[in-house]
Amino acid sequence: MKLTRQYFDVKDVVWGKELGYKDGVLTINKEQLLEQAKSYLKAVTNVDLEIIKPGEDVRIIHLLDTIQPMYKVEGQGQQYSGFFGQPDTVGEGITNLLRGISVMESAPLPWDDSASSGLLYPRDAIMDMSGPIAGFTPFSETINLVVLYELAEGKSSAEYDRDIRQIGLAIARELAQLTVGQEPDETEVFAINEVDPDLPNIVLVWKCQNQGVYSNTLLYGLPIDNLVPTLLHPNEMLDGCVVSGNYVWPAFKVPTYLHANHPIVLDLYRQHGKTLNFRGVILGRSHNPTNWHKERSANFCVKIARYLDADGLIMAWEGGGNAAVDGMLTIQAAERVGIKTSTITFEFGGKDGTEGILLVDDVPEADAVISGGSIEKTYVLPEVFKAVGGDFLRLNKEAGGYFPPATESITFDTTTHLYLSGNQSGHSKLFAESY
Amino acid sequence: MSTLKAVYYINQFFAGIGGEDKADTGLTVFDEKKGPAIGIESMWNGEMKVAKVLSCGDNFINNEENYESVIPEIAQIIREINPDVFIAGPAFNAGRYGVACAKLCDYVRRELNIPSVTAMYFENPAVRMYVRDNYIVETGETSGSMRQALPTLAKLSLKLAKEEKIGPARLEGYLPTGHRYNEYHEKTGAQRTVEILLKKLNNEKYVTEVPLRGLEMVESADPVASIKAAKGALITTGGLVPKGNPDGLKQAFSVTYGKYDISQLDSIPASDYESIHGGYDTTHVNEDPNRLVPLDELRKLEQEGAFGGIYHEFFTTCGIGTNVESGKDIGRRIVADLRQAGVEFGILTST
Repeated sequence: MKLTRQYFDVKDVVWGKELGYKDGVLTINKEQLLEQAKSYLKAVTNVDLEIIKPGEDVRIIHLLDTIQPMYKVEGQGQQYSGFFGQPDTVGEGITNLLRGISVMESAPLPWDDSASSGLLYPRDAIMDMSGPIAGFTPFSETINLVVLYELAEGKSSAEYDRDIRQIGLAIARELAQLTVGQEPDETEVFAINEVDPDLPNIVLVWKCQNQGVYSNTLLYGLPIDNLVPTLLHPNEMLDGCVVSGNYVWPAFKVPTYLHANHPIVLDLYRQHGKTLNFRGVILGRSHNPTNWHKERSANFCVKIARYLDADGLIMAWEGGGNAAVDGMLTIQAAERVGIKTSTITFEFGGKDGTEGILLVDDVPEADAVISGGSIEKTYVLPEVFKAVGGDFLRLNKEAGGYFPPATESITFDTTTHLYLSGNQSGHSKLFAESY
Repeated sequence: MSTLKAVYYINQFFAGIGGEDKADTGLTVFDEKKGPAIGIESMWNGEMKVAKVLSCGDNFINNEENYESVIPEIAQIIREINPDVFIAGPAFNAGRYGVACAKLCDYVRRELNIPSVTAMYFENPAVRMYVRDNYIVETGETSGSMRQALPTLAKLSLKLAKEEKIGPARLEGYLPTGHRYNEYHEKTGAQRTVEILLKKLNNEKYVTEVPLRGLEMVESADPVASIKAAKGALITTGGLVPKGNPDGLKQAFSVTYGKYDISQLDSIPASDYESIHGGYDTTHVNEDPNRLVPLDELRKLEQEGAFGGIYHEFFTTCGIGTNVESGKDIGRRIVADLRQAGVEFGILTST
């Protein structure tokens, strides 16, 4: 399997008469682009757009998913296969990507009975384009086209979820399609066919959250609730076979953009043939419901790793403590058959790191754990010039709701509301330094 | 700038007084350098001098009575010199010497407000006792590692004396104190996750970034001696509260709990109670809260005389993302209530 990614740098995004991409400038005609949304306006009544740029004094709130705009120009299937057609296996041929821009979804999903349980209600995800928390997400360094949704009343969570996602993906597709026929700024070829017998074989186990609508991961268009761990070629992920539908814990979720540009996948690729052989991605579900499910999942991951002659296994997961148990059992199962492991996770430890244990769960075999940062730290978000997505934050639903003005300074005693602060895919440099 | 001053503590052996047979020697004060104090001063390039060397026998100082009697004298000497830093050791893996060094460093820092530093092997028992609040430079197991340890100790002690900002453990060479703060690394998490695995595979030295602190085992309580007469309480981590969550309990990262009167109820009505828990699908509990807090069945058993009664309140919190220390605190407070009321058993339901 060989995939060529053609990168087209976006240096600026401007409003204009005609939708187009030329010399690194993306011009957007709002009405023209929003034509893409028309056929999905059911649970969504209206869509608007905002362009937000790095360094701006802006807070983005009610964040749902963030998407990498890409368009498949050669090879089987489409980008984000399973959403606009059949679930063709992707990962071969040529895909065009807009680089330096994301498509970001923002909507105040209802807090009524459509979010059926305490677990599955959408929690406000917040990011700042500058200031103390800007480094938590890669999107303080990209131009973000924020899609703002107005929602119909009385629809189900599944209906909101589907229409929001389809519109986001369609807009991302339309933008990337503008590059067709143009010269890319950079081209990168992805293949793992060649295996150097002198280098260690490494696999990535990637366990993603799935607990129902709003807490979901989709593989080729379908939720992974019924999935036992399965083998993916990393190129399938690069072409967008995994899409996020996870809006529950802003710190721990992994957006579609980071599934398609998975930092560990990309780093393993860059080391492939030099220091290691990248043998594949084992995709499974995190938050398995019982210990039985968890052990079965761990054992399946290790079984596939052994088929791939893995010497080493990187265990990474999306989600919180429940997912950590899945991860730790997988580490234990791997080490027991002589496959060495490393992992990355957020940690606890309280304000100064000294309080109690650092991880929800651990096994003695987990002796190479990279810190994604502690979520139990206080952050003061400064006052900002502008908020995008709404005028008020939506916090503490269980205590009747707390709705402070979105532009004002606010203090959080944990980072759970701060978008991607859990660093679960290793995208950021945030970590807990040891003193 | 005038020369900075250090006071240095060593045991009888490094002071040249003698070995185990001299371990009962009391406080000796030297104006001349002794042992590691000689080597370290040359590493400061004239910026700092050792003003005095103090020494006690290891047995002497580790006797609590002796310690209490000699500490005012030590404090007096240090106050008179008013050094910029207090240094002790290295003690390597010597237990009594290590405890003496760390204890004195802790005292000088805390009581005399003078920065202090010692050095020893990570398994020295003193580390566990004192590392949280004190700088302990990492050394090898024996004095054979003196040559490697001394430059690190010299550098850190000079920094402390100059009141410079002390960097992270991995860069300064001291043993992690357990204090951890969010910062930005020079590399991404992904890069480091791949790198540490390669080190492991290539049999190179690697250090985990997140040390495992060990999960505490909880011992089971003794069986209830006479269940027929015993009163029990219902406790849940499943987040059941009266509708509207009147006490504003958090749905995750709990620091407290609620208790609600059930004395007039034969079962918990779905019309009045709901779960606010943020970590499981609460649909089935909200349909029938007795699935989480089984009051309905317990009332039947109570009437049959299976046990002595049900405590008049049930206790509730959300067990998700809860810091273990907060969990212990919640548990202790609930148990204190129950002990006082003479409750003999609890039924804990989690989700």
